[in-house]
Amino acid sequence: MAEILAVRDVRKTFGAVRAVDGVSFTVRSGTITGLLGRNGAGKTTTIRMITGIFMPDSGSIEWLAGSGGNAFRDRIGYLPEERGLYKQMKVVELLLFLAEIKGCRPQDTRKKIDHWLERFELMDKRESKIEELSKGNAQKVQLIGTLLHDPDLIILDEPQSGLDPVNMVLVRNLLHDLRKEGKTILLSTHMMAEAEKMADEIILIHRGQVVLEGTLDQVRGSFGRNTLHIDFEGDGAFLAQLPQVRKASILGTSAELSLAEGADAQEVLQASVPRLRIRRFELMSPSLEEIFIAKVGAETLAAEVVTR
Amino acid sequence: MNKMFAVMKREYLQAVRKKSFIIMTLLLPFLMAALLAVPGLIMAKGMGKKRIAVLDGTGRLESAFARPNEPPKEEQTDAAGAARNAVMQRNRPPQLPSQMTVEYVNQSQSANFDEAAKPYLKRLTARDDAADKLEGVFLIPKTAVADAETRMSYYSRSATDFMTQERLTRMANRSLHRMRLAANGIDPAVVDTLLQDLPVEAVQLSRSGERKKGGELNFAMAFLFGAMLILPSLVYGQETMRGIVQEKTDRVVEVLVSSVSPMQLLTGKIVGVAAVGLTQIVVWVTMVGLIGAFAGTTLAMADAPINLSQFIRPIIGFYFFVFYILAYLTYVCVYAIGGAICNSEKEAQQFMMPIMMLMMAPWFLMMPIVMNPEAPFAIGFSLAPVFGPITMFVRATVTDPPLWHFLVSIGLSILTILAFFWVTAKIFRIGILSYGKRPTIPELMRWVRVA
Repeated sequence: MAEILAVRDVRKTFGAVRAVDGVSFTVRSGTITGLLGRNGAGKTTTIRMITGIFMPDSGSIEWLAGSGGNAFRDRIGYLPEERGLYKQMKVVELLLFLAEIKGCRPQDTRKKIDHWLERFELMDKRESKIEELSKGNAQKVQLIGTLLHDPDLIILDEPQSGLDPVNMVLVRNLLHDLRKEGKTILLSTHMMAEAEKMADEIILIHRGQVVLEGTLDQVRGSFGRNTLHIDFEGDGAFLAQLPQVRKASILGTSAELSLAEGADAQEVLQASVPRLRIRRFELMSPSLEEIFIAKVGAETLAAEVVTR
Repeated sequence: MNKMFAVMKREYLQAVRKKSFIIMTLLLPFLMAALLAVPGLIMAKGMGKKRIAVLDGTGRLESAFARPNEPPKEEQTDAAGAARNAVMQRNRPPQLPSQMTVEYVNQSQSANFDEAAKPYLKRLTARDDAADKLEGVFLIPKTAVADAETRMSYYSRSATDFMTQERLTRMANRSLHRMRLAANGIDPAVVDTLLQDLPVEAVQLSRSGERKKGGELNFAMAFLFGAMLILPSLVYGQETMRGIVQEKTDRVVEVLVSSVSPMQLLTGKIVGVAAVGLTQIVVWVTMVGLIGAFAGTTLAMADAPINLSQFIRPIIGFYFFVFYILAYLTYVCVYAIGGAICNSEKEAQQFMMPIMMLMMAPWFLMMPIVMNPEAPFAIGFSLAPVFGPITMFVRATVTDPPLWHFLVSIGLSILTILAFFWVTAKIFRIGILSYGKRPTIPELMRWVRVA
């Protein structure tokens, strides 16, 4: 599919800190691309350069779907991590304003506002002031503000931070719906499990650099199916000592085992059957979390935790 | 352009709908008028009744402090009669004000004047609710008529009641003069005419040779308009600063900057706020116009000698408009910088305080400027950037400065505003996204260079 946006070798330094250090990637049209990384990895800085808030020190941001200089930024809908709205404004006024600064004419926007308010079940709050809304509703209003001008690329920075489980599901479903409607979504998150559920493609950033890039299947495939999930009854402590097991995390009656290179899962099963009642035995690809740790190295992560 | 307009529209509507705006717009002119009028009224009325003992060592001044019976009002049918009446009014010796009661004591017989005064001085320090409490004791020694070296004394609790003291002194002196002249053979009947002070009429001569009377009113107008010029600039400057800080604390700014350029944002804001100010002026000018028209007709009907239109000249309205906008934009730019580099309202207030004190210098210097509008320091202030708009306007109301003063002042102001705007936009670009520590001056300089 066609690419919509290309980030080419961008760098950004704040004082002595190299926040983004030569990041390149492309976003394909009609996909959900997950921009992953820990807090402080450089995700938000990268996004701010895409949205034109920061100018990159070097490198470029290119809009590949049609021309038009900097005007492409009106084709982007951006939900910042730090969310905020004018508290004194009425919902409908605020949404009109947000669409207007994206270049929409007010008369074209009013219908869309009602459509979106309907969709988010906020119609009764149309004339309320923002400060009167609950936190969840205010976040929905901001999300509407992000989508109102019908952007081609939707950039969401940690869209689920601060959401309750119900709203998290709501956002997840919305993203899937938007993709079905043909939108392109760039999603930044540090929650790997969430990204796993939503993203088609992932870009993994660590210390201002891309460490891994590709479709979710590609990325996982490259790591092979070498993770065993076992649910059992009995004492599973011995699993960690098996020669086939490289790394184990055992919690009560379930275990997640990373297999050593060339090890056969069948042997683990044989060793387990005499000592445990097996309820589930599944050979899977590793989780993004594991891939991330494997890629970056547990030592560097541990060291980072210490230095922080 | 449309985006800037959207920002402007939002700023304008949000500000104009606020209660504080409506209240200030409708009440400020009245408040300012009251602020000017009330102290004057209090001064004129005095602070309540005063009971004063006059101890007269000469024993001949009783008539000076007696309240004469009100002379019957003559019907004045012709202009000559009215003029004659006015002269008679002026020629009357100084009168005892109605709220003053004098207890006259003839002390010519007492051997020891100081000793005789003692009980009266005691009453001066009596409790407030005592029936015979005195507010003042005025001592006129025996030698007052004959000896020019004699000193009279006035005792009171405050020693700052110079209005009362001055009044009593004039009354005593007028009588003493009369007696001395009489002693030298001058007919008491002509003494009053001989002693009459002639009044002075202040005439403002304009460059074009036009003469205007009643400059005292100009004085009040200068203060009134000066306040109307400076107050909104401060209030809406603060409002702008608060708005910017709030956009930062409410984290709205990131959405804004991803949609509009900082320049569009700043321009929209400042133009929006200026439009708010203009709305206010239009309301005020209308109000002043209506009141002026009303007062004008009332005065015309009362056949008053003062023509109000000579103070509210149309050109003053024009100057007010021009200098209001200039002062406004200057202040708002400075406040916008404050808002961009500070992270909380409190911090911003503290940061702006010394800067604002400096910028308000013309206000603190209003009195000397109004009294010496052609002095070099007044001219300097009126031409200088930042201070110019207010000082120049005040000068324009009380005198008529040459055209080149106006041109230099306005030109420099516009240049200053453009420079401020440029710097503000640069600082704005970086400042609005920097949370955390407030930048130091060198850091600010770097922002201006880099952005």
